[in-house]
Amino acid sequence: MQKLIEVRNLNIAYGSPAGWTNVVQGVSFEIARGEAFGLVGESGCGKSTVAYRLLGYGTVNSLVQTGEVLFDGTDLLKLDAKSLRRMRGNRIALVPQNPTTSLSPGMRVGSQIREMIATHKALPPGMSMQARIAELFALVGLPDVGHRYPHELSGGQQQRVTIAMAVACNPDLLVLDEPTTGLDVTTQRQIIQLLGDLRSRIGMAMLYVTHDLALLAQIADRVGVMYAGQLVEVAPCDQLLAAPAHPYSRGLIASIPTVAGTERQARGLRGVLRRDQMSTGCKFEPRCDFASAACRSTPQVLEPVAETRTVACMKWRESAVPETPAVKPRLDAKATAKPERLLSIADLDLTYRKPGLFDKLLGRTSPSVVRDIDLELRAGEVVALVGESGSGKSTIARAISGRLPPRAGLISLDGGLLDPALKSRSVEQLRQIQYIFQNPDVSLNPRRRIRAILERPLDHFGIKADVKTLEGVLENVGLHAGYLDRFPEQLSGGERQRIAIARALLVNPKLLICDEILSALDVSVQARIVELLRSLKEKHAVAMLFISHDLAVVQQLADRVAVLYRGELMQLAETETLLAAPLHPYTEMLLEAAPGLSKDHYVSRPPAMPASKPVPGIGCPLAGRCPRQVGSVCAETRPPVQATGSGFIRCHVPVEKLATRAAPPVEKRPAAVV
Amino acid sequence: MSTITSSPAKRFAGFDAARWRATPGPFKVGAIILLAHALFAIIGVFWTPYGFAEMGAGLPLSGASWQHPMGLDQIGRDVFSRFMHGAHIVLLLAFAGTILGMVAGTALGLLSGYIGGWFDEITQRIVEAMISIPFLALALVMIIAAGPALAGEPVLIVFVVGLVYAPRIARIARAAAMEIATREYVAVAELRGEGTWSIVWREILPNAANVLLVEFSLRLSYAPILIGALGFLGFGIRPPTPEWGLMISENRNLLIASPVTVFGPGLGLASLVIGFNLFTDGLSRMLGQRAVAGA
Repeated sequence: MQKLIEVRNLNIAYGSPAGWTNVVQGVSFEIARGEAFGLVGESGCGKSTVAYRLLGYGTVNSLVQTGEVLFDGTDLLKLDAKSLRRMRGNRIALVPQNPTTSLSPGMRVGSQIREMIATHKALPPGMSMQARIAELFALVGLPDVGHRYPHELSGGQQQRVTIAMAVACNPDLLVLDEPTTGLDVTTQRQIIQLLGDLRSRIGMAMLYVTHDLALLAQIADRVGVMYAGQLVEVAPCDQLLAAPAHPYSRGLIASIPTVAGTERQARGLRGVLRRDQMSTGCKFEPRCDFASAACRSTPQVLEPVAETRTVACMKWRESAVPETPAVKPRLDAKATAKPERLLSIADLDLTYRKPGLFDKLLGRTSPSVVRDIDLELRAGEVVALVGESGSGKSTIARAISGRLPPRAGLISLDGGLLDPALKSRSVEQLRQIQYIFQNPDVSLNPRRRIRAILERPLDHFGIKADVKTLEGVLENVGLHAGYLDRFPEQLSGGERQRIAIARALLVNPKLLICDEILSALDVSVQARIVELLRSLKEKHAVAMLFISHDLAVVQQLADRVAVLYRGELMQLAETETLLAAPLHPYTEMLLEAAPGLSKDHYVSRPPAMPASKPVPGIGCPLAGRCPRQVGSVCAETRPPVQATGSGFIRCHVPVEKLATRAAPPVEKRPAAVV
Repeated sequence: MSTITSSPAKRFAGFDAARWRATPGPFKVGAIILLAHALFAIIGVFWTPYGFAEMGAGLPLSGASWQHPMGLDQIGRDVFSRFMHGAHIVLLLAFAGTILGMVAGTALGLLSGYIGGWFDEITQRIVEAMISIPFLALALVMIIAAGPALAGEPVLIVFVVGLVYAPRIARIARAAAMEIATREYVAVAELRGEGTWSIVWREILPNAANVLLVEFSLRLSYAPILIGALGFLGFGIRPPTPEWGLMISENRNLLIASPVTVFGPGLGLASLVIGFNLFTDGLSRMLGQRAVAGA
């Protein structure tokens, strides 16, 4: 195939007052016309830096030391600003990571696309601007939303707009910088589906930058794995996933949680990417399981090992040997005697708006964000709360923790009723429930040392502690006493999250609320935090309410799963049962959307009755989106609760019918390759 | 990418050459001017060429000479000696007043921003009312209200400066607190059941510190002008204590006969204000430049 773009020996350094740091070293790859090339690696490995250079773009403090980026024969790095401007958007276009911040908030999305076409004079002959914009919207599966402002669109729709904008000039190359990272699983899959579809229709090449190998499996032809600024392996996607040759690729793949890989207990990556701890030889040596003395001193370069495959590791033969998956039988901790109930929630109803005086007089009620939640947690049990964003997962957690007094419903902990307001709860109750937040960057006070952060709760709850206590808890979460005198900004994201976990554990809580605590972290770090949580669960018998949008993570940790959609519990079931037989149509949708480690040709099932909108507060919220809607009854009446073996589902369709029809799509999916 | 740049011990290390070179220019110039003022003020406390209230140090209105670099006033007092002695008065009043305003304004602003609700509403309306009055008018009203017994006392000047500045500082502090209050570490403290004071003191104040520091030095640079204006109008320090504004006022009749007696204190005031301003400018650049997560 003909080369479209070729990167040759690219070296990029970032300048800082301390001097130059080499961020990208000797990266070379090429993308053929119409090919989708994936670039994958942990955060900080330089993948975005490389991607932006394909647009001839670099930040002010970056310097290209050597290298060429040949696009159709011209070196982009030598072009002047004017020719670059002509090139960007027109022939090479970018789909940015976060559509919310990359669309101009004060401008209608139609005008933003018009701007793109007008700048490059890329209107196809004999076509009006309006028609072209409508055509672009149709191309990305949107109705004509040109007159809307970005904030009127959902995250998925916004990303579709940025994609429409990127393909507006029919570019030869599309650079995608983590385009689905902020999106829900189902939306993510639709975007991936859309991109695959666009590629076959327009025939453009793609550079897809991501940290998520499972996603690349769905879309990329070839994948380059980057580590510490170097490409360590380039291989066709299916080959890489089936038999990774480089130890790093191997670890990266092992770290990915997939719904199918329940029994897989392969070894993930240890350590984190630290640029200050590089050996002169192989960059990966400090974290590599196959490392020898020679690795430390001999720099590794990409060597072809097969026709279409290159690896930068001299021990690739050893590491490519498929490891016999050590089948660790999951310890069934389920004791015959059921432990006592710890937390129970009954008829919980939440709203964000406080009713005003007029509303009270007129008897108006504001819409509920969360309705009719009944949930219970036993001591030492992990219950996962799963749903798309906006489904009310965190809202429930806020109510349990006392930050949002519920409109109706009772929450009791350990037999005692919890007061709705935080202020009237007893100190003891506050201690027993600990909350871990999503983003450790903002849940630790940046101006306090770790020691002060950890000592404060002890002080507050009057728990006697000596030096050993802090060291002990740090050890528990896999850190050491050296961290006590550091500030949060000196820690990596994963380390910060560990500190947040340590802070919660320090006061011996009975219930941990983990609010999306993994979503801000790298895959390899995620895998280790999950491992940590699992060991804590066994050691301390602490119950957890684990909130997540990712079913794959949940199945590694949770005993039971509660599926939430638009503020209503759709299903509650034991994890294994839920994965084996999802029953509820929404759970099924979620499971199908979760990407596996092989191409699964996912096609979202069309809703049965897209026009039927649920009656607010009464009908099933899934009506109109549900592929198995039985009729207008779904939209108009409240679905009944049907008991299943280990829990319940809330659906109009009888359980037996759901069970029989669930079979075909599951069989169609090939099992994930280990 | 999170590279660990410096150990905490090193970050607070003393002044070394590399650090000095890295600081912005205005900061350096401002710091030098302020240092000169401070030295001058300290010397002025212990030694002046003549007594600051000594009459007949030379021929009145004889203009600048080597003995009397800033000339002599109408009753033959050496203006330079008075200027030297007055330096520490201006500095002390400015610092004391601004610190008072800072403490009051910060406490009020942080509480108002964090607590919100009706407390915030009421506080903000009062603050707005106070800001809407021109600051000199407000100061004069306060001095008159204090009555003749306190008039001319340094304590009164300090209070006036503090009260004039407090509402302005409160607004800045409130804005910072409102932003920080949404951070999750504040939520963590709330979930722990911490009291309002504890949260404001432990979680919010340290993170608002750099905003407040810049505000402090900005207010500090205006304080000498306010004190000087009060002195000029005769509402400041009681004569014969040589406060610079008062000296300009006393000698303004001599502007033609012996201009140097007015220019001296005037230049002193101007250089002090410029020094503070440059210092503030550099400081805010330095604090703004440093990427402080969460501030």
